Amino acid sequence: MKKYSVGFTLFLSILSLGLMLVGFGWTIQNQFLNNGTPSAMEQAKPVEDKTTNDQGSKVIVALGDSLTRGMGDDTGKGYIGYLVDELGDKSKEKITIHNYGVNGYRSIQLLEQLRQVEIQRKIQSADYILITIGGNDLFQSGETMDLDEKKIAQAKAGYLKNLDSILKEVRTLNESAIIFHIGLYNPFIDLNDSELTTKIVRDWNYDTNALLDQKEKAVYVPTFDLFQLSVKDYLYTDNFHPNAEGYKLIAERVSSLITW
Amino acid sequence: MISLVRNEMLKIVRKKRILIVAGIIAVLVALFTYSQYRDLERRLERFGDVDWRTTVQQQIIDMQNRLTSSGISDEWKSELQLTIQQQQYYLDNNVNPMEPGAPSFARMFAEHSINLLLPLMIMVVAADIVSAERTAGTVKLLLTRPVKRWKILMSKYLALILSVSIIVILFGVLSYLISGFVFGYLGWSAPVITGFSVAGNELNTNAVQMIPQWQYLLMEFSLVWFVALIVGTITFMLSVLIRNTPAGMGVMLAALISGAILSSMVASWESAKYLFMINLNLTGYLSGQAPPIEGMTLGFSLIVLAVWGLAALVVSFAVFIRQDIY
Amino acid sequence: MSEITLSVKGLRKSIGKKEIIRGIDFDLKKGEVFGFLGPNGAGKTTTIRMLVGLIKPSAGSIEIGGYNLRNNFTKAMAQMGCIVENPELYSYLTGWENLEHFARMLPEVDRSHMNYVVKLVRLEERIQDPVKTYSLGMRQRLGIAQALLGKPKVLILDEPTNGLDPMGIREMRNFIRYLAEEDGLTVLVSSHLLSEIQLMCDRVAIISKGSVIKVDYVENLLAMQEKVIWQVEPREAAKEILSSVTDVIDGPDGTIITPYLEIQSANWNQMLVEKGIHVNEMNRKSPALEDLFLELTGGESID
Repeated sequence: MKKYSVGFTLFLSILSLGLMLVGFGWTIQNQFLNNGTPSAMEQAKPVEDKTTNDQGSKVIVALGDSLTRGMGDDTGKGYIGYLVDELGDKSKEKITIHNYGVNGYRSIQLLEQLRQVEIQRKIQSADYILITIGGNDLFQSGETMDLDEKKIAQAKAGYLKNLDSILKEVRTLNESAIIFHIGLYNPFIDLNDSELTTKIVRDWNYDTNALLDQKEKAVYVPTFDLFQLSVKDYLYTDNFHPNAEGYKLIAERVSSLITW
Repeated sequence: MISLVRNEMLKIVRKKRILIVAGIIAVLVALFTYSQYRDLERRLERFGDVDWRTTVQQQIIDMQNRLTSSGISDEWKSELQLTIQQQQYYLDNNVNPMEPGAPSFARMFAEHSINLLLPLMIMVVAADIVSAERTAGTVKLLLTRPVKRWKILMSKYLALILSVSIIVILFGVLSYLISGFVFGYLGWSAPVITGFSVAGNELNTNAVQMIPQWQYLLMEFSLVWFVALIVGTITFMLSVLIRNTPAGMGVMLAALISGAILSSMVASWESAKYLFMINLNLTGYLSGQAPPIEGMTLGFSLIVLAVWGLAALVVSFAVFIRQDIY
Repeated sequence: MSEITLSVKGLRKSIGKKEIIRGIDFDLKKGEVFGFLGPNGAGKTTTIRMLVGLIKPSAGSIEIGGYNLRNNFTKAMAQMGCIVENPELYSYLTGWENLEHFARMLPEVDRSHMNYVVKLVRLEERIQDPVKTYSLGMRQRLGIAQALLGKPKVLILDEPTNGLDPMGIREMRNFIRYLAEEDGLTVLVSSHLLSEIQLMCDRVAIISKGSVIKVDYVENLLAMQEKVIWQVEPREAAKEILSSVTDVIDGPDGTIITPYLEIQSANWNQMLVEKGIHVNEMNRKSPALEDLFLELTGGESID
């Protein structure tokens, strides 16, 4: 063994060198001389797949903005997290949650997200679809609110159009799932101009509610009243997003609507 | 010449260098396999289902959320955006980027070791290939043979090339065999996407192609081999220049580690891209990672490395042939 | 004893501006043992390393077996075997593997010659053991075996007895004489030990401060130094008589010193006696190389 180890190593290493030289030559050829032919690509388009990997459990898909993500909750759960807790207490059903919330999303971005294959797949398999959207359309994704009536009207018109498209899109993907749309609260209710801001949010919610009423199996979930009286107790330090307690309130309300 | 190379191989083999390297690699592979395995297990626990699409989608969402937080740098942001686009591409085309199996493990492992671990292994062989003869004094016997000095050095260099080749192959074979124990040995023909290029902040998918994993592995390992060869050549030069093996190793180690650190923070130091240690991550170009400095391409890195390698070789020979041995 | 196997002409070496070897010339003949003698730092090692191609000379030529070392390195080196300082072999290889290693670097060495060489240095029993288990003497012998592999005409040994015990030194000495006398090798031996050179060498070159002061046969050098010390009465008359036939120097305590020349010295004695001079004492003094060395180098220290 010892006697032949050198010859053996020599032989193996020459083989290795040969292989590496061939590989390297081929890599150069492949990377530099063979450009612009994405040939194999087309054939590999999605072969449609088994959609039902979530069999035997209830599937909830959560879409929307920072509220869905849970921003402001120190535990990171958000209302979705508390909702799962609540539902877990309520029934023994296995629950699968897909949380696709993205901070700062506006209605138009959500509409774009719906074009993604994987999101569509998940919506197809969903039993419940939870949406929080619109806050960033109205509040300019920030802690202020433009009180100019014209601009608000403009924003609202765009939002309603997008929401309509979103709901239609979701419905075409999944005929049976129940859609919950979580309404807005007024984070500025303690500040100046509270009368004006409250009116704007109420109108916004009203129109949203009206739109949802036209859709089948779509439920508008109001949150305005939850935050109305002691808004400070339920808001995060940014005075905009809910804190853990605030999210719990929303979760309780949603969970009471979900039955199976 | 052949018998000279044989002599050098004899010394490398008898010094058990290749065996030591293989041992280290085996231990590390086992370690990484285990951590990979735990990772997989945890993911199983967390999601209940192992559908990779769910995981990838979740990764995308996570990254999108990270994008919106205000504290992150622009470089990080654009890198995230690129990764998102790429992940989305995998999803849209139904290609699992993390197809489990030994070949995928070997691919991942090579990707992660190309700029530090593997060069270190090469160093173990290359660092004392000349300097050990000097410290032990055997160089006096070696150079008083009726053989020209350049031939002696050339035989050493050829032996180094051979050792580098076998180490790279061993690296692949060991990571395949050991990880296959846990992940299974299948997955050679799983499709892998390559050909991403990064132009500005856009992921350019014009040249994207889907190839079977074994082809991708061949490409990847040949690039790993090239990097190992260049690192070996530079270490070889240090071994000629610096009598003291630990000192030579120290210099090389410092260069490699600084390269690993610099790669993650030199985005604004443009001319750093001509340093060899910044260019080691060749496999990143295959998998579509953003290069450490904008404007670096596979071709650019290959040329930079080749120039460094050639320069090191020229210096080695020039010095070795003229050197007086006291 | 006529064929010149190693010829060195005008050899010089400078490091920076400092010239450490200032012109060395000598010729070595077939079958002789040539001593290279000088104190540490005289330039012995540098010269030897130039002879074996480890250091490039700044000027001068070296010819081994008729081939110029600079222009015809491989052919010249093929005529030579050497050990520079200690024989540092690959300790992780066996003795045999070491020999194989060096044999591969020579044009052609067959197995029987390798066996012959091993037998010559009496390492048959241990040759398959790793060199790291060898004693210093065994390493030295293996080093010589290695040097003899290529059937060289010239063997260069730098301090071959360094670190050996008295037994080993004597063995080495006999071995070197054997190689020169039986195999007709030219052996160049460097040493800083006079006694060693005196016992082993035919000719010697004395080197000091980078140049050769004297090259001659050992016996000549010694003879040149042999003197007769005369204690005579009357002194002046004797001095007159002696100075007519040879060199005369005044010695201490009223003595007269003349060189020693075997037959003549006896004749001189007779001459003095015939002339009625009373020779009280006639002393032959034959000093060692030591004195010569001190005289030649002007008192430079030596072990």
